Amino acid sequence: MPPERDAGFGSRAPLVHKPDAALAAVIIVIAAGLFYLTTGFEQVPDLLSQNVGPEKFPRLVLTAFVLLALGLPIEHRFVRGGRERLDSDRRRPIGTRTWLTAGLLVLIGALMPYAGTLLSLVLVCLLLPPLWGDFRPRVVVPFAIVFPLIVKLVFEDLLKVSFEPGLLAFLVD
Amino acid sequence: MLADPFNILLIFAGVLIGVVVGALPGLSSPMAVALLLPITIALEPVPAIAMLAALYCAGTFGGSITAILINAPGTPPSAATALDGYPMARRGEAGRALGLATFSSVIGGILSLFVFLFAAPAFARVALEFRPPEYFALALFALSMLASISGKSSLRNLIAGAAGILIGTAGVHLTTGVERFTFGVPELTDGVHFVPVLIGLFAIGELLAQSGTASVHYERIVASVVKLPSRADLKRVWPTILRSTGIGTFIGVLPAEGATVAAIIGYNEARRWSKNKDEFGNGAPEGIAGPEAANNAATGGAMVPTLALGIPGSATTAIILAALIAHGIRPGPHLLEQTPEFLYAIFGAMLLANLMFLGIGLIGAKTFSRVTLIPKTLLWPGVLVFSVVGSYAFASSVFDVWVMLASGILGFLMIRHGFGQAPLVMGLILGRLVEEAFSQSMIIYDNEWWRMLERPIVDLFLVLTFLGLFWPLLRGLAMRPTKKESAP
Repeated sequence: MPPERDAGFGSRAPLVHKPDAALAAVIIVIAAGLFYLTTGFEQVPDLLSQNVGPEKFPRLVLTAFVLLALGLPIEHRFVRGGRERLDSDRRRPIGTRTWLTAGLLVLIGALMPYAGTLLSLVLVCLLLPPLWGDFRPRVVVPFAIVFPLIVKLVFEDLLKVSFEPGLLAFLVD
Repeated sequence: MLADPFNILLIFAGVLIGVVVGALPGLSSPMAVALLLPITIALEPVPAIAMLAALYCAGTFGGSITAILINAPGTPPSAATALDGYPMARRGEAGRALGLATFSSVIGGILSLFVFLFAAPAFARVALEFRPPEYFALALFALSMLASISGKSSLRNLIAGAAGILIGTAGVHLTTGVERFTFGVPELTDGVHFVPVLIGLFAIGELLAQSGTASVHYERIVASVVKLPSRADLKRVWPTILRSTGIGTFIGVLPAEGATVAAIIGYNEARRWSKNKDEFGNGAPEGIAGPEAANNAATGGAMVPTLALGIPGSATTAIILAALIAHGIRPGPHLLEQTPEFLYAIFGAMLLANLMFLGIGLIGAKTFSRVTLIPKTLLWPGVLVFSVVGSYAFASSVFDVWVMLASGILGFLMIRHGFGQAPLVMGLILGRLVEEAFSQSMIIYDNEWWRMLERPIVDLFLVLTFLGLFWPLLRGLAMRPTKKESAP
């Protein structure tokens, strides 16, 4: 099929684009779950809620959310560039480096209350560059120590923010 | 405010940061404003907003430096500048290209500020007559404009906007005190703090996207001395600059639209009106002046609805709006009525910022282009450090760091599937206004919502909402090839 007939308005592509159908299904399931949660909101007397209960607006938004999501599977027929354009960023699988980077971010969040802010940041600055292919310890190590320290000092001294001391609590004491 | 040297220093810092961030591909003005926001919390409101506004102006300009010298626009609004800026630089006229870009940006930015100075109070005076139904309809109109923000798909923009509104409903319902979507987490009773969400969406989402791309080595063109446009160039581009300034200011005033849309339309109109159309794409001066004047004019225009109505004119002004709220200031007609000095302070700060980046552009463009030499393996960990610290510092809460990380992963998935981050931010910021106005309107009309249609301004905004929602579709249908045209 010539590309120009497979894309955008009036295209002869199949009606439903499967990746977007799956995406719509995920969105609808999430919306349905959230809608169900609204049924568990505490009930308040009409006098207090003045006929606009706490569940009303979220339900309106969720309904709009679902109605919009229903258009996703067929959207490719109305978008200039069609499926090619919509799939351009997701055609490539998520790489190992991205998964590992995401894992590292989660690790930081988990570590911070225990290891402390500074140590967690130093750790991420030590681990992220080699993860992304930079194996220059003479550059990475000083950067990993100095940069988080400077940022932390700026926030602590100038902005009076207190950070989690964690393992470095003895230094604070 | 401008008499205080500390405030001038803050504005200069905002300009420097803006130009650097703007010049770096991958970083953006919304990201920089989001990262700087926690720092500005410690400042007084006026200097804080002045610094952010200065960053906004300068960031929009900064992208043109790398657009011209390395064909890698630092910011989306500068993408159109690269079309003619880079070809001009390649033929040995980089200094001329940078001079045209700098001059056009400054003129566009300054002229739009005068529009801001007069239009914002005018808008505010009109808005003083607004009641909850008008605010509800106005907010709906602003949300409908998400459909035409640049991006892959209007439908996905609207879905992202709805998601933002939904996230904003978490927390304690103000009228009834009922907890909504808190999942038993005490930190969520206050709702989801928007600062960590902003930082996560823009900074962490992009960081994850960058993790999957190889390092790019840019071929930089060595710039000659940057100077103001020659008399011949000025004579040629003045009409374009004035026209693009008008276009950019108008588009900036429209809710949710911003510098990117302004730049694209500015470029297209420059080409349409040019007597030298075939020069476009090969280094036409109008091809640089048009988008640059438009994108910087949009910054002044976008401040009009932001301050006068409390409706953001762009993604960056949505974050500036969030900053105002974080400082305990509710933008809107009453702000300008009660504290008009606020308007003059922002005007002064943005005017000074425009003049500062005139100097930076003429003197320092070559230097700023070198920021692209920072390896991404050090740049992005640096961004991550700021993101973690900034998110934590907002409320001294590790939970906000988790919100930031979750928003980052969401932002990454959104980019991957063609959803815009800016619409989600708009939805998050506007959602509370929409719900408040909706609830108050329902109370006023005793649930008979159709009675809102008796108000003419509500009707006007609803018609505009309809157009905003369906314009992309109608335009596409109108441009659809007929059977005769598409027949082989």
